[in-house]
Amino acid sequence: MDQETHNGAEFDLDLGWMEKQGEWGTHAEPSKNGLTLADIQVGSYAEAPEESRNLSGRPRGAVPRPGSMPIGNYTVRTKSEIWLENASFLYEEALQRQWSSATDIPWDTIEPLPDDVEQAQCQMATFLTEVEFVAGDVPSRWVSKTSPDFYEARNVLMAQVMDESRHMDVFRKRALANGGGLMRATGATAGFVGGIDLARDFTEMSSRLHLSGEGAVLTIFRMGELMAYNDAEKAIYRLCAQDEARHVAFGVMHMRYMAANAPERREEIESYLDEAEAGMLTDAANPAGQLNQTSESLSIMLGGGRKYFDEGFRKLVSIRKRQLQEYQKRVTSAGFGDRFKNGRSRLGQMMANVAN
Amino acid sequence: MATAKDADRVRPALTLTKEELEVEVPEPRLNWMNQWREWGVRVKPGEKGLTLGSLNVGLYGEIPMNWPDRSRNPRGAIGVTGTPPVAIQIKDKVDLWAPCAAELYEEAIQRRWAPATDVDWTAIHPLPEDIERAICQVCTEICQYAIIDVEVITNWQHQMAYGYHEVKQFLATTTLDATRRHEAFRKRALVNGGGLGYEGPCQVSRLLLESSGGWTETVTGLVLVRAMFTQMMIRYLTRFAYNGVERKIYECVTQDLARLITYGIEHLKYALAHAPEKQGSILTTLAIGFRMFNRDLRDPVLREALAIVFGGGIAGARSEGMHVFYEMLDEYVEELLNTCQYLRLPVAIEQLPKVFQKDQRSLPGE
Repeated sequence: MDQETHNGAEFDLDLGWMEKQGEWGTHAEPSKNGLTLADIQVGSYAEAPEESRNLSGRPRGAVPRPGSMPIGNYTVRTKSEIWLENASFLYEEALQRQWSSATDIPWDTIEPLPDDVEQAQCQMATFLTEVEFVAGDVPSRWVSKTSPDFYEARNVLMAQVMDESRHMDVFRKRALANGGGLMRATGATAGFVGGIDLARDFTEMSSRLHLSGEGAVLTIFRMGELMAYNDAEKAIYRLCAQDEARHVAFGVMHMRYMAANAPERREEIESYLDEAEAGMLTDAANPAGQLNQTSESLSIMLGGGRKYFDEGFRKLVSIRKRQLQEYQKRVTSAGFGDRFKNGRSRLGQMMANVAN
Repeated sequence: MATAKDADRVRPALTLTKEELEVEVPEPRLNWMNQWREWGVRVKPGEKGLTLGSLNVGLYGEIPMNWPDRSRNPRGAIGVTGTPPVAIQIKDKVDLWAPCAAELYEEAIQRRWAPATDVDWTAIHPLPEDIERAICQVCTEICQYAIIDVEVITNWQHQMAYGYHEVKQFLATTTLDATRRHEAFRKRALVNGGGLGYEGPCQVSRLLLESSGGWTETVTGLVLVRAMFTQMMIRYLTRFAYNGVERKIYECVTQDLARLITYGIEHLKYALAHAPEKQGSILTTLAIGFRMFNRDLRDPVLREALAIVFGGGIAGARSEGMHVFYEMLDEYVEELLNTCQYLRLPVAIEQLPKVFQKDQRSLPGE
């Protein structure tokens, strides 16, 4: 500090900014889970606007600066386009349940497997390495287009991107940990019309990614115990299922909010669901679907080897049914259950043909 | 070797219905079997577990200089051809690579923290109003930086080729870090009788968001201008922290930012070593960055708020606090110039706007 060299002269201060502050006197209190995002929803800081006019990256509740440039280029500025009621909870849970694929998986429990089973495991791991990060790339792109006034939803999506990154790496690790290697990719996430990448609307993307895509993978992860051959694989599926459940919950809760707050978009959402259902068993992104590369590897894993393929395939059929049932529950919970009663949904037909 | 019989011991049964048991099973094609580029890989966990970097063995460790494939084929797998491409634009290693990305990724995961529970929020106590207002203003501006950091990085991430998955994965940690930074400083602003302050100026943010021509140039602004300055500011805030809550936040954020800075510097080093022609655009971006930063610094808000924090109130801000602010700025410039030297970037202090030059700056009493 060389202030002596300045003869004790003082700086002039403007201090006009001290009068330009958001709601003052805020005392957010920690709850039993620490100081959560929910705990800081106090006073005007809790109010996410129906339409965001924030184009400059200003934190919600801060005082706007006149003349700020609209540098944000946000296309998602309507609350119903992205909002969900439990975003704060999902975000905090995501932070609490972060895990490490390097140290939280008991890799030393892996032992050599019969070649057919190892190949099946590696094929499935290749597929999951390939598809998991579409669920990272796509939400991250949407975050950059979403007004920070909806930061709670953005936060959950950022936690999802991290989760997907870890999934991508844990399956790569599995493929390279037990005498195998990566096998053939499937192209399941290529830029097809109706694919997750190409959605031009957030809710459309969320219905494809969270509700149908990740929903189907969640069912598989939940059945992970059936296809795990050691504690490492069990841990992988269990931890991934935990993460995936949050992502699916985001989709369900967002759609529920949309159904309640933007009834004019209901028919449009029904169309997304029509499309999702049409691809549920045929789409390559569902590993239990009809693509033989993944369905056969799953059957071998579920049966216990090539020799027990038939037994494994029958289990796979049971899993497909479960995927459809769980999808129905989610869509019903999101407020679109009527489609299963009024004949719009093809789920009944699909259930009857699940073995094909 | 574990056998299928062993496997049955760990795999629970799934009770099938009569209908499922009678399902006609199609003949498997099995055309996917025995399809690989390298088989027999057995990577073992090391001292730090089974890390991402340790997977880079044999063919899986070959990271080509160009990855023209615009699909999500994992590196080392047999790729699918003929599928419509996804919007990947960064396909050259030189445009994103940093040799330390895999290590930084694992470190980020090991050092994860949660502002809700890792900060003892009860350790805060009421502060004099001028100091609380100043801290809340600083929090507001750091929140805004973090919001912009997220937008800048997420705008690029999906454009990066899958062959360089280590970088994509590391960047996922940086966006979660920035998300957490926004969260932690927002919480601090709302916990102690204050609130959020006045929106900060936006010239550096504008540069970062509009720098859409190249990731390397974005990194130049994001790391050498924004992150290194933020890091220095946090370091000084740590020195002048008023309670354990602030100290803990600063400590965790410092670690997070250090990883982003390390990636950025090592990426620039790699880019300059493998594409020396990039030096021109890096230098120009840096020069523009400093002009933008200079414009932001003409605004008195952050400067005065920091001076109040450093000076222990408005009275102290007029003398000691403001001098500490400039000391901080000088230290930032010194680190920046050292970094430029490390990168062999010919940047001299005389090229920077006067506010960054200690000898050129006019202070009261001079």
